[in-house]
Amino acid sequence: METMDRELSELLRETRFAEGFSEQELQSVARAGRLHRAGKGTMLFQEGEVEDEVFVVCSGHVALEMQVPRRGNVRLLTVGSGELVGWSGLTADGRMTASAVVTEDATLIALSSKALRELCRSDHELGYLLMTRTARAISQRLLATRLQLLDLFAETQPQARPGQAS
Amino acid sequence: MNEPIDSETVFLARHQLDTLITALRGRGYEVVGPTIDQGAIVYSEITSAADLPVGWTDDQQPGRYRLKKRDDDACFGYVVGPHSWKKFLFPPLATVAAAERTQNGWVMQTPGSVEDTPRYAFLGVRGCELAAIQIQDRVFMGGAYTDPTYARRREAAFIVAVNCTQAAPTCFCTSMNTGPDCRSGFDLALTETSTGFVIEAGSEAGRTLLLELPVSAVTADQLQVAAAARQQAVDQIERHLDTDGLRDLLVNNLNHPQWEDVAERCLSCTNCTMVCPTCFCSTVAEVSDLTGDHVRRERRWDSCFNIDFSYMNGGIVRNSIRSRYRQWLTHKLGTWQDQFGTSGCVGCGRCITWCPTEIDLTAEVAAIRATAGRAVVSASATEVTP
Amino acid sequence: MNGSATCPAQDPWLAHSVRIQQVIQETPGVATYNLAFDDPVVGERFRYRPGQFCMIYLPGLGEIAVSISGNPARTDVVPHTIRVAGRVTQALADLEEGAGIGLRGPFGSVWPTDRCAGRDVILAAGGIGLAPLRPVIYDILADRDRYGAVTLLYGCRLPSGLLYTSEYQKWRAGGIAVKTTVDRAEDDWGGNVGVVTVLLDRLSLARPSETVLMTCGPEVMMWYTIQAALDRGLNADSVFLSMERNMNCAIGLCGHCQFGSDFVCKDGPVLPYERVASILRVDDL
Repeated sequence: METMDRELSELLRETRFAEGFSEQELQSVARAGRLHRAGKGTMLFQEGEVEDEVFVVCSGHVALEMQVPRRGNVRLLTVGSGELVGWSGLTADGRMTASAVVTEDATLIALSSKALRELCRSDHELGYLLMTRTARAISQRLLATRLQLLDLFAETQPQARPGQAS
Repeated sequence: MNEPIDSETVFLARHQLDTLITALRGRGYEVVGPTIDQGAIVYSEITSAADLPVGWTDDQQPGRYRLKKRDDDACFGYVVGPHSWKKFLFPPLATVAAAERTQNGWVMQTPGSVEDTPRYAFLGVRGCELAAIQIQDRVFMGGAYTDPTYARRREAAFIVAVNCTQAAPTCFCTSMNTGPDCRSGFDLALTETSTGFVIEAGSEAGRTLLLELPVSAVTADQLQVAAAARQQAVDQIERHLDTDGLRDLLVNNLNHPQWEDVAERCLSCTNCTMVCPTCFCSTVAEVSDLTGDHVRRERRWDSCFNIDFSYMNGGIVRNSIRSRYRQWLTHKLGTWQDQFGTSGCVGCGRCITWCPTEIDLTAEVAAIRATAGRAVVSASATEVTP
Repeated sequence: MNGSATCPAQDPWLAHSVRIQQVIQETPGVATYNLAFDDPVVGERFRYRPGQFCMIYLPGLGEIAVSISGNPARTDVVPHTIRVAGRVTQALADLEEGAGIGLRGPFGSVWPTDRCAGRDVILAAGGIGLAPLRPVIYDILADRDRYGAVTLLYGCRLPSGLLYTSEYQKWRAGGIAVKTTVDRAEDDWGGNVGVVTVLLDRLSLARPSETVLMTCGPEVMMWYTIQAALDRGLNADSVFLSMERNMNCAIGLCGHCQFGSDFVCKDGPVLPYERVASILRVDDL
């Protein structure tokens, strides 16, 4: 398992999520994880279900979708390398607020939410680091959602550079 | 014709003023000068000294302008009215281009030539107005592109300046360093006294013209009376604008609560920009005949206070009076410096007089200055050099 | 940042007669108009740099400012990509190929391609904001070895709104990484969903301090794209954006397009980020 952990920590090191983590911190986090490869079309988790793992995307793409009656699965966002998926397991009870579907063959690190929470409790330094990174990921997600909400291209329609209106 | 007088400064008797107007007209100039129309002293074509507002003056206050009889026969005994000379150099309506539909498609033209350009002689240009003309010179002729209409009219113009001998309560040219004395940018400059005019030539054209006039050598006494008359204007100026660091003050206070305050009073009526001798905003509109085959592109004065002035892609950028007043004042007193190396304000006070709600830009600036720093936009605002 | 002044400085109001040589329907409501000069002498003199714009004139209807979206090396036609938005653009859309109209220009500042030699380049575009950046892409492709890694990040509202899709393969083959994203996925869209900033967030940057960002799109998009870039370690002086304001005269004489200390027509449309950083998020400026 040693080599497995090392491989995981190496993968983790490459992600923006773990940018700046010390060797020891990487090892600690990697011990809570497993490597997860998922082919295109795989559903990582489903909206409404309780999930006990949090994913860090190393490569590939994952789409987040919400199911709306009569509209089907509405694709809200695709996430890529370095990003966090399924963070409800870190901040709440792990009930997923969206479904995650792999849209391009993905390599992920699946981290046990329970183990991560344990890690945070027992090592506050590392816990602070992990929660700061999680908060950053969430705030980036929030900003992106706001920008989508602004529907910029619709609002400024017709928009262009310069003044392609009139 | 008189004996040539070997001096830059001469004297013209009061009853001989017509000889100046006649000489200018004789050289093909259309003489425009102050005259009374609809209860105001405006600039319009004049043919003799009788057209001047002899014996009249203006009583100005914020939001107030009235003509008043003087107790003498002064020809230039007023300050400034609603007009400025920009209406002649940068006409309120001008055709900048034209298009004619032919069998081979549209033929594009830019009408106008030196030959059909009006040759104006301005009579009665004040110190602040000379400064205003020099500012518009920079706007229309000092950049990468020259406006042909302005440039041709400007080239052709003859300027007879008149030194102020009195000031209005709205004047603050001393703060802007533009007057009241006429310093440069004229062909001739007059100072009116009770007996006549002390005339100074400021150009070769001015000196040549003086040779045709029945002028006499100026006496020490006449010079002293003229100097005293000019000093009277200086002494009468009470309004002040503190220009120290003014550009930065305004640019760093774009979110100052004073903008909300002035927006409560401002009607966005555009009066200040219409009477301002330096404001140059315009819009080009298409004017075509019924066939649609003959099209003129007409430039009209516009104003940053007009709501659709900043219209862009289905939206208005400056959609509040607060943002429009802020645009006007920060440009006039601030960013104008960045663009043209000078303030856009000459301290003539017209915007104060002609504001229907008595908004006084000097008071607005003072209010911002009094509480500046409490509402600075962001720390980075001062670090970024334009 | 000075443009090449093909427009005669002494007679800046004079429009050139041009013909709509070809109309390329790009997306619903957006077409590229390839314009050719009636007078070949004028056409031969006409030169522009990426980022510059022209005033397109329909006599009787008015002028519109439109960025040139073509290859600066080709001067036989001058392409402009235009969305139908109002009176003039609708009338333009109604014209047939071969119709004669007017054109003034080119005007304005240029993208800083001359400062990109040996550096990595990120082009971030939103919506029709790709049009003013396409000349940069052509410039880079023509001399690809001159630059480091080049990435185009392009966001649109819907997949059907993505411009120039038929060219992406050629751009990729020429050594430009093209990444697209949409705000709202349509049925068959298998690509990225989300705003352009998230593409930048996940981009791997080999040497951020040697990377230049050029961005064009809605102001809000540009601002957050720039913030994401600065967050990733780009230097503020390596960031450029193309501003939009109401351009009426195009020669800095009418006041309409003022933005802070600049007239966007004359000092812009391409501006260094640092020049406008302090005022970009000031409301109603």
